[in-house]
Amino acid sequence: MTADYFAFFGLQPALALDLKDLEKRFLDLSRRYHPDLNARKPAAEREAALEASAILNDAYRTLREPIARAMYLLKREGFDIGEQTTKDVPPELLEEVFELNMALEELKDGDTDALPQIAAARERFLASRNEVDGEIGAKFAEWDAQHSRDTLSAIRGLLNRRKYISNLIEKTNVPD
Amino acid sequence: MAYSEKVLDHYNNPRNVGSLDKKSANVGTGMVGAPECGDVMKLQIQVNEENGIIEDAKFKTFGCGSAIASSSLATEWLKGKTVDEALAIRNTDIVNELSLPPVKIHCSVLAEDAIKAAISDYRAKQTTKTAAEQTVA
Repeated sequence: MTADYFAFFGLQPALALDLKDLEKRFLDLSRRYHPDLNARKPAAEREAALEASAILNDAYRTLREPIARAMYLLKREGFDIGEQTTKDVPPELLEEVFELNMALEELKDGDTDALPQIAAARERFLASRNEVDGEIGAKFAEWDAQHSRDTLSAIRGLLNRRKYISNLIEKTNVPD
Repeated sequence: MAYSEKVLDHYNNPRNVGSLDKKSANVGTGMVGAPECGDVMKLQIQVNEENGIIEDAKFKTFGCGSAIASSSLATEWLKGKTVDEALAIRNTDIVNELSLPPVKIHCSVLAEDAIKAAISDYRAKQTTKTAAEQTVA
């Protein structure tokens, strides 16, 4: 069964959500669909409530997280959010990625001198991700105001970039 | 999926691994990456400024066997070619030579992009150099 997560919470599709309000709606609906409160209802209603509470949990998990929420909305708007096919590698990061790989290779060969370099790269990637998160936040507000497809395309590109940077951060997670 | 014999040969004995002085005016550096696999490829050419012939080529690639083989083969082909001839190298030539399967075609595209990037870096440097010389004169 497919349910529209935004409609499920009684919300208009939006990217910048008030999380306090979302949580309140979640708690209200949780109560409404709770098995204990539906125990004395007819079987069909009990089943419907159970199904609704499963959707509720999925919907809340998705809408609560900005990245998951954006992916959901992109899919809902007909964007292909599967594998990255376009070249969204941040060009200014390439050099850095190359150096990082060199350092990781040295480390694999037992050269621990590379560790500070890897730690420094990690810091820079974390900063880059913060920057991308800021840009994503701005685009969220832009889409909420205008509902433009161009904005969604830009968000998709930013999400790819963020994924790429996250993979790099993962790579730099080496034990001291 | 099995690698072709030629891919394995380049993977096990990569040609021309290393780097050239990227600050040198007759060295062009191309750095490209693929988001799908996180591959990153650096390819450099050293050009004889008198006759425009690529005298040396080096690469360093972090990626799968096909990406390494594609860039290794590219450096072999580049040596002895003029810059213009080098621009004519197509990724399909690499695909054919290495018998790359469809899922690995992007590796050859990466190598072609790296060649183009190295050449455009070299040309940009030459233009700057010429401009500087004219200013001095």
